[in-house]
Amino acid sequence: MYDELKFDNCNHSKDPMVGCALEGATGVLAGIKDISIVIHSPQGCSSTVSAAYDVHEIDFTKRKVACTRLFETDVVMGASSKLKNLIEEADSKFKTKAIFVVGTCAADIIGEDIEGLCRNIQPQINAKLIPLMAGGFRGNLYDGIELGLNALFPFIKKQKEKIPDSVNLIAPQANLNPTWWADLKWVRETLEKVGIKVQAVLPHDTSLEELDNAGLASANILLSHDAGYKFGVKMQEVHGIPLILSDIPLPIGLKNTARWLRAVGNYFGVEEKVEAIIKDGEYMAIDVLRRRGLMMIPRYRNCRVAVSADATMGIGLTRMLFEELEMIPELLLFRSPVSDSQLLLENELNDMGITPKVVFSADGYQIKQSLMESCVDAVFGSSWEYYLAEELGIKFVFDVFSPTNRQNYLNRAYFGYEGMLNFLENVANDWERALRSKHINWEEYS
Amino acid sequence: MVGIANESVVFFGHLSELYQLAKEGKIETKLQGSHTRPCKFWTAMKILSGIKNTVVIAHGPSGCAFGVKQAYKLTNCRNSGSPYESIITTNIDEKAIVYGGEKELKGAILEVDKKYKPDVIFVATSCATGIIGDYVDAIVNKIKPKINAEIMAIHCEGFAGEYRSGFDLVFRQIVQLMDKPDSESRSKLANSVNIVGGKMGPERTEIETDVKELRRLIESMGANVNAVIAGNCSLEEIKQAPSVAVNCTLCLDLGYAIGREMLDQFDTPLNSTILPYGISATERWLREAAKHLHMENEAEKLIKREYEAIRIEFEEAKKYLAGKMAIVEGHDAIKSLSIAHMLERDFGMRAVIYNFHPWSTQARETSIDYLLETGLDPEILITKGTLAFGKYEAMVQTENELMEYLGDLNPETTVYFGSSMSFPNIPVVDLNAILNRPRFGYRGALKVAKCICTALEYSFRPRSWVTKKMVFPEDSGLCSAQSLTPKLAQDLPDCTVYAGRERGKCMMS
Repeated sequence: MYDELKFDNCNHSKDPMVGCALEGATGVLAGIKDISIVIHSPQGCSSTVSAAYDVHEIDFTKRKVACTRLFETDVVMGASSKLKNLIEEADSKFKTKAIFVVGTCAADIIGEDIEGLCRNIQPQINAKLIPLMAGGFRGNLYDGIELGLNALFPFIKKQKEKIPDSVNLIAPQANLNPTWWADLKWVRETLEKVGIKVQAVLPHDTSLEELDNAGLASANILLSHDAGYKFGVKMQEVHGIPLILSDIPLPIGLKNTARWLRAVGNYFGVEEKVEAIIKDGEYMAIDVLRRRGLMMIPRYRNCRVAVSADATMGIGLTRMLFEELEMIPELLLFRSPVSDSQLLLENELNDMGITPKVVFSADGYQIKQSLMESCVDAVFGSSWEYYLAEELGIKFVFDVFSPTNRQNYLNRAYFGYEGMLNFLENVANDWERALRSKHINWEEYS
Repeated sequence: MVGIANESVVFFGHLSELYQLAKEGKIETKLQGSHTRPCKFWTAMKILSGIKNTVVIAHGPSGCAFGVKQAYKLTNCRNSGSPYESIITTNIDEKAIVYGGEKELKGAILEVDKKYKPDVIFVATSCATGIIGDYVDAIVNKIKPKINAEIMAIHCEGFAGEYRSGFDLVFRQIVQLMDKPDSESRSKLANSVNIVGGKMGPERTEIETDVKELRRLIESMGANVNAVIAGNCSLEEIKQAPSVAVNCTLCLDLGYAIGREMLDQFDTPLNSTILPYGISATERWLREAAKHLHMENEAEKLIKREYEAIRIEFEEAKKYLAGKMAIVEGHDAIKSLSIAHMLERDFGMRAVIYNFHPWSTQARETSIDYLLETGLDPEILITKGTLAFGKYEAMVQTENELMEYLGDLNPETTVYFGSSMSFPNIPVVDLNAILNRPRFGYRGALKVAKCICTALEYSFRPRSWVTKKMVFPEDSGLCSAQSLTPKLAQDLPDCTVYAGRERGKCMMS
């Protein structure tokens, strides 16, 4: 169980830690190959879409985005002609198989008939036009991801037959690992090792052909505790593909990884292969830590910590910190609502027998207040928490989540066995740097 | 020039000619749909982010506040050691869109006043609340007696104006926070200036920046800087700002709006000159400031002293450069014009600005008018690539067009001033690179001279095939200018896109 914190003066004002629905929706579209996006919006929303492409780390030479750049006359008079012209130009120049026509707040509120316009001009456009209203007021980043995922349904062909031992992977990008695609890669490779085919990723670097064939999968696996659950349920209803593994944490830390793998093994009947992976993985991880990380035992044991993350990372990490590193999770700060994973969180905390303070949809003010009033020794978070904790005099801050100040040239998973080591390497380095003297009296040595 | 009649040329001539054609509608000035700039909301927020102990309440969905927070506030933490600062959203949802967001805004103002205790609360409207017509001014006025902070509404819906309108709007509006000067306050600040046209927040601590150089020069003359508006200034500094001897523009384009407003309202003089790149521009900047400070003698001594400190190296460099041609990348209109001015006046080079988008003739009208009046009328070359819709080839095209124009030009007689992510076969000088700071003032003049000499000295080295391939991959697809953040960082004010997940996204700031 948890102790949910309450805050004064936070009913109407938020210091947001996540973006709006537009960023989430276009963060889905950016994961599809051979599409382009026409944003029907004032030009500032283009920065939000650019951020969505950043999330997928799309090569700057391969982004295909155009914006109608709405101004006051467009808002008053309507901008259908402007949009039509831009769609035609984007079709001619980008030459993609599909164009998503995305309306944001301005277009959404004034009632631009994007759907009607797309339908009317489709005959003279080569690309398939998909309208998507994604006004920022329609919700937060995670709500936007659901909007974006729903926009993919027209591309998923209904299939009566299913390919045995095949899965789709849903919402890998709703993950605060700065190189989350490495987590996706770990999942893919691990499933392939045990003979399970990944039919489609919904979506990252996903082709329209792969989307078309997603209906052939015999199961769906959700790679986020923050978004995609509703889509998974709808896939179950529409395409008859069950959503599996949604009631256990993602594979963060040794125990969670074993649990996740065993659930896969149990569902697909590959228990023996899974046990081999677990045995090898645990041996490798512990062997490395014995050689290189022994000092963590006295350092981390009974260290009181705050975790500021999303549910995707935060739920699994809590067990890893508590059971495997013997830290004490005093405070869990979720920047996401954790609406579909709250039961999972409760079950996990009850199973561990701890009652940390918890904040859902935490904003910057609430994070700061929580840290100020807690007695934690260390914080797991992003660069945001790094600066907040620095101001509050908290000595150890582990900059492990997005947005990070850490330069990452190599992709590093946090899922799985090597993923645990990647995470702990970051923690160990931040720990070392935290204790290095900052104010050195150089005169004493001259 | 070689290839002057080439079919890819859209325009070749002087700035005044381009300006006239644009006014007459004879050249396309519209920005392509693939090219976006920050909207009015973003640029307004950039100025507001530079005022200390201020909370901005973005009245709208969370994305507008979140994006700006990532881009500006996080960058201030990272680069300048600022403490964490909030940007608040009223986070309106569909219900508020239908029924109005007044309740959310009232509640937010009261909450912010209690929990942050700011000097000023700015209520910034976004597209959503602008369109639905939330009565923001009435709410602000009605709630004023109930809170401790000063409060002001800023109507900066993203659709409500072009890129620079947000800058101008806020600069004009914050003048309303200022106190009318009296003889006592004028006397107190008789030896002070404001540097106007700043934005975003404090300067980096670990490197010499342009603002620091200007501050150093002012203080070396015996004067003081009351405030950099709005680069880390306080409400108190803003309030007393009109009492200074003179406002000095940091960026002519941005500083003019606030400077003009203060001149009109408070008779505060305005020293409005070109960006002080190089000695000629710096001298003008200093002399205009000194006139109002009544420190003409001190200024002349300073000018002499400062020039003497760099004279030997500078004049040596000048010999090396006189008569050579400079190709100046035109993505940032004001910088390219300022650099052209410096290269002509200080180094005796012939400057040609390459691919200056005609849109800039309208977006930067104030500055262009001024520069033409001063007699600066550089040559402008525009090729089709500049006006192409978002194809990646637009970038390759402009690069290839540049190569074509350079033709057989001798690398020893031509220098390219632009991004290091251009790869012409002549020496490249990237004045925007972080190690090449400051650029203003005398130290800046010397720095520029050294950069140019270094580029020429190592012009024998071919450009790295590694970095060239990073920018121009063989299998590149299409892209829009918005995506070309690394290359076009100069085209966007410092860090106006998301700070992103990695430090490198802010490498130009």
